Amino acid sequence: MTARLERLRDWLRECTPLSLVILAAGGAALAIGILGTLVFLALEGLTPSTELVETLTSQSEGAILYTAIALGVAAIGSGFLLYKRMPTKAAREASVSGAALGLQAVLFALLLLWFRSGEKFDIFVRLFFSFDVLGPFVDQFLNAAKNTIVMAFLAQALGMVLGLFLAMLVLSNRVAVRAPARAYINFMRGTPLLVQLLIGYLGIVTGLGFREVSVFATATVILGLNAGAYTAEIFRAGIQSLERGQMEASRSLGMSYLQAMRYVVVPQAVRRVIPPLTNEFVILIKDTSLVAFLGLSFVQRELLAWGRDAYAETFNSTPFLVATVGYLLVTLPLIRAVSALERKLRSGLVGIGA
Amino acid sequence: MNQDGSLVRLENIHKCFGDNLVLKGIDLAVKPEQVVVVIGPSGSGKSTLLRTINLLEEPTQGRVWFNGTNLTDIRTDLNKMRTQIGLVFQSFNLFPHKTAMGNITVALRKVLKLSDGEARERALEQLEHVGLREKADAYPSQLSGGQQQRVAIARALAMRPKLMLFDEVTSALDPELVKEVLDTMKRLADEGMTMVVVTHEMGFAREVGTRLLFMDDGKVLEDGQPKSIFSNPTDERTKEFLSHVL
Ligand SMILES: Nc1ncnc2c1ncn2[C@@H]1O[C@H](COP(=O)(O)OP(=O)(O)O)[C@@H](O)[C@H]1O
Ligand SMILES: [Mg+2]
Repeated sequence: MTARLERLRDWLRECTPLSLVILAAGGAALAIGILGTLVFLALEGLTPSTELVETLTSQSEGAILYTAIALGVAAIGSGFLLYKRMPTKAAREASVSGAALGLQAVLFALLLLWFRSGEKFDIFVRLFFSFDVLGPFVDQFLNAAKNTIVMAFLAQALGMVLGLFLAMLVLSNRVAVRAPARAYINFMRGTPLLVQLLIGYLGIVTGLGFREVSVFATATVILGLNAGAYTAEIFRAGIQSLERGQMEASRSLGMSYLQAMRYVVVPQAVRRVIPPLTNEFVILIKDTSLVAFLGLSFVQRELLAWGRDAYAETFNSTPFLVATVGYLLVTLPLIRAVSALERKLRSGLVGIGA
Repeated sequence: MNQDGSLVRLENIHKCFGDNLVLKGIDLAVKPEQVVVVIGPSGSGKSTLLRTINLLEEPTQGRVWFNGTNLTDIRTDLNKMRTQIGLVFQSFNLFPHKTAMGNITVALRKVLKLSDGEARERALEQLEHVGLREKADAYPSQLSGGQQQRVAIARALAMRPKLMLFDEVTSALDPELVKEVLDTMKRLADEGMTMVVVTHEMGFAREVGTRLLFMDDGKVLEDGQPKSIFSNPTDERTKEFLSHVL
């Protein structure tokens, strides 16, 4: 932390006063435009939605936005005009960054000005920002978020086990072993997940009459079976990316093919496939939303089903916005955690994949 | 040992890669404690020959006998036989996710079924032997090329093999690191290990080798005492090759 502060101080020392003014102007434009608006909204109250409309269309908000535009334009103009004449690299960075921040502020302010000039701006705000309608649904939101997470993790766990197994089969030299695994993978990748969910649901729960099997469990298994096909391809690519010598060295030490896979090849492949695997998991988390199209029971609803039911009861779209935020709350930390894990795995093992 | 007193016996070995006939009928018997050095131009089939001895390459035709067992018999337990044949590669092929210790112990524990303690003890013994005891906990990426290759040698030796195969093990090393690896191999030869060594190090061939093979185009063209071949090659192609490398 202190090292980072020190680097910042060095950087600032290299900047010229003019470049810092440009940076400050751009930063201030963005802060005034976005933070200013948010603070203003918070002070005036977020509910009911008519209050929001009143705040956003007020003259004070107009003043905030025009100030942001003025500062932003100044930063853009001076930043882009002057950056080539800056004497140091740091000064050049500061002026370009100032211009970039200014541009973002101007875009934000123009967008908000355009929105609030709309004839039905009040209806738009009521449909998407009526936070007061959420009251009775808050508990269920947490439950739905939990369901989404549980469903995604269970399906991913199943998918990874299945995927590793399928990858082994697909890499076999024998057609009789390889072909069925390949067919399964291609079928799962070649048909829409929604169709798989519907067929599985209609086929197993309704068709075969296993009514005691919950939709949630059925859907989780189908998601896992689908994820298995994608993780199989990821594992296969990871295994094939290893040098042939790893397998040969293992075999020359007397390991069987499976031992070589287990102790040498797969552990290295897993490290290499963490990024594509995360990507696949994030997609899976989002795909749990398709389960909303099956009739989930009340307590088993995931985020989108919750949003849709809340929408149906309130005739208001705010729940969809909240569901969107719910997905981000799950996916963003995951993306961060895994990239941290990846860095850690790499730091000890510079030779691998780096 | 095989019936004829040899440790390794190749009979009429042919090897094709697709249409490419790479080994064209090789007969070779290696006696215990021999150090057989194989030289020859690139692409002549030296690596393929070496890898045929432990059946990493399956010969298209011919038989491989090792220590009284026919390795080319489909019923032979190759995994078990391979524990008796150490192979060291040009590209080291250490396991990058394991420490030097882990590289050596994994096969001891999983193949020879030694206990963790026994495996560690044997690994340390071998690391000591190649002069790298203090690097036991280092990952391959933290070692120099020469050190990595010595760990690879220790890994093979820890299995207590009856035969060691070396495939251009110094070719990927910086010149100043070659000596430490060659010294390790020389000591191994002095201790009586049976070795087949593919190399371009003619000094090693002359001083350590007890027998020299010259290969070209999938055939053994010359087979004899290193000193007499160096001073008096019979085949034209041997002469030409030696004039380039000496
Ligand atoms: N796995 C393989 N697949 C196809 N061709 C191969 C393979 N390994 C070796 N070869 C071919 O066999 C020939 C001999 O190779 P090699 O035994 O590596 O020669 P050397 O070690 O003497 O340089 C070369 O032409 C090479 O391209
Ligand atoms: Mg070679």
